[in-house]
Amino acid sequence: MNIFFLQFLLGILFLSIFYLHLAKKNFGAVIAYSIQSLIITLILLTSFLETNSFFLLFVVLVTLVIKVILAPIFFLRLIQRHKLTFSVSTYLNLPLTLIVLAGFTAIAHSQKFLSLTNIIPVHHALLSLALSAFFVSLFLIINRKDALSQAIGILSLENSIVAFAIFAGLEQSPMLQFGIIFDIFIWLVIATVFISMIYRHFGSLDTSSMKHLKD
Amino acid sequence: MEFIIIISSLLIASLIAILAKHRIIVECVSISASAVALIESFVVAFKVALSGDYTPFAFFSVDALGALLMLIISCVGFAAVAYSIPYLRKETADNIIGFTRVKQYFTLFSLFLGAMFLAISSSSPIFAWIAIEATTLSTAFLISFYNKPSSMEAAWKYLIINSIGLLLGFFGTLLYFTSIDSSLGNGFISWHILTTNAIHMDPLLAKMAFVFVLIGYGTKVGLAPMHTWLPDAHSKAPAPISALLSGVLLNVALVIVLKFKIITDSVIDQSFSQTLLIVFGILSILISALIILSQKSYKRLLAYSSIENMGIIALGFGFGGLGVMAAILHTIYHSLIKSALFFLSGNFLLKYHSAKIANVKGALKALPITSILFLIGFFAITGAPPFGIFLTKLLTFSAGITVHPVITIMAILLTAIVFIGFFKHASAMVFGGKPSEIKEEKESTWLILPPLVLLILVLVLSFYQPPFLQVLIHNSTLYYK
Repeated sequence: MNIFFLQFLLGILFLSIFYLHLAKKNFGAVIAYSIQSLIITLILLTSFLETNSFFLLFVVLVTLVIKVILAPIFFLRLIQRHKLTFSVSTYLNLPLTLIVLAGFTAIAHSQKFLSLTNIIPVHHALLSLALSAFFVSLFLIINRKDALSQAIGILSLENSIVAFAIFAGLEQSPMLQFGIIFDIFIWLVIATVFISMIYRHFGSLDTSSMKHLKD
Repeated sequence: MEFIIIISSLLIASLIAILAKHRIIVECVSISASAVALIESFVVAFKVALSGDYTPFAFFSVDALGALLMLIISCVGFAAVAYSIPYLRKETADNIIGFTRVKQYFTLFSLFLGAMFLAISSSSPIFAWIAIEATTLSTAFLISFYNKPSSMEAAWKYLIINSIGLLLGFFGTLLYFTSIDSSLGNGFISWHILTTNAIHMDPLLAKMAFVFVLIGYGTKVGLAPMHTWLPDAHSKAPAPISALLSGVLLNVALVIVLKFKIITDSVIDQSFSQTLLIVFGILSILISALIILSQKSYKRLLAYSSIENMGIIALGFGFGGLGVMAAILHTIYHSLIKSALFFLSGNFLLKYHSAKIANVKGALKALPITSILFLIGFFAITGAPPFGIFLTKLLTFSAGITVHPVITIMAILLTAIVFIGFFKHASAMVFGGKPSEIKEEKESTWLILPPLVLLILVLVLSFYQPPFLQVLIHNSTLYYK
């Protein structure tokens, strides 16, 4: 597959995660997650086209159903049920957030992580971008106060790792990939139930208001 | 065959717990499944002791340490089910929970046990990761069991922090696969293939991979500073679940870290992984010692004690040599004692309806047997002789004093602080006059028996280990040194 096309796909994935930091409305965040999951599905599809493994096609279909269709549906229903139009604020303000994001992106592209991004030297640019997506997702979970964004952050982190694994040639057997996606699906169901329960208990998804447990 | 029996019996128990209409059926099936798991674990342990690694199928493989962990999971698991039955009956009688909750509890309980067995016996690191993730998913609802804001907060924290940790661990795991030719193992890469191919790994990448794995799975182990979920989750879960989380799950995750340590050590000098274990170990002891002193909840006190003990175990593996044997023995003793202590904390909670130390006074009069056992457990966990932890601490510090004298002296001082803090809280709870509203009643034998049996087991194992157990400890020490 053309490396520039893959770079384009990965670029969209990175931008969608970047957008999650800027999104004020939950609907936009869910759509951004859906787009990045679609990108992952497309990247997996390119792997299928190269290998023609029907097990891999099965994994592609399961990924499509769970990450691109079911996950956004779960989250959108949650938003509708509890009228969660707006996302709760972040710990850092926007300028500081952007500085941190720029920092993480620069670090991912730096010599420090060369041993990671040079696992397959021809994929250096792709791996650097996937690693940036990894750091940016991790920061999303830390910086966002609301439970929904944290859940989307976890799923984005998983997408970033999948992207990194594909470009580093570290894909697992389809059976194990299926096991991982199944795990993600169960995680998704549980996280959705918890988000709903948090809203019922606390009246908002603001995790910074949870202060019952202190030493 | 043993694995199929263990896993299928736990799955069937879980399924029956969902469908059953009578409480007695749920209880009988759950205890039967854990009894089957206990018997089969002993069978596996004997086989490993006699003939080395046990690999009945491509997906499962148990080494000596795995067999020890299987014994711990099954012993504590069986004790936890035996304790859960009267504990939940009392809570139902007090109108705290209903039958639906009981069904939910035993369904998730069996799944949790099954996931731990899978994690420890899996021959593939990815399969092990899936199983460890399954332990998080099966326990999240057990932590939020009482459906209070505080338990919800603890469960969400547990879910998010552990998910981040496990994803970091997953990333680190994938990095180890760079040493493998993708044609090997048809995509199914086992621990064995990873270990034998480790020499092909880039040393710098091996360092990064181990850091990710240690931080990732270390979160699940409860090592500081990734420990923040642990006191909340362990204090909010029902007592038998806290026992399993503290006494078993932390060790299961630690074994995964150790498996990666072996791979890393074959690529780079083992001082790298040892130093990291020592750093995280001493930090865990430091943080828990400082917090234990000013602790207000006895369940959190026990949770911080777990962090301290995982720190000591990490130090043992970090010091190497004699420290490794001490760490393995410490793992066994800590699992049994901590589980017993959490069961006893459940007895306090049922009587006093409060987890605050300040609200539990004169327990010796209100709950004499529980109080005496709690004091025995306190002495055992803090390393007072004649209990085994005294010896394991002595061995760990002996191993450390020659190679890392400053760290070792620090650890000795900090464990002394833990003893003082723990003693202060335990004596405040046990001695003195009891509140007038707390009635003196005969204690339930069924709530006493599980912790009593575990403490007797610890005492026996402190002086005598059966030959098969000695073989397992010896072989584990040789492999993980």
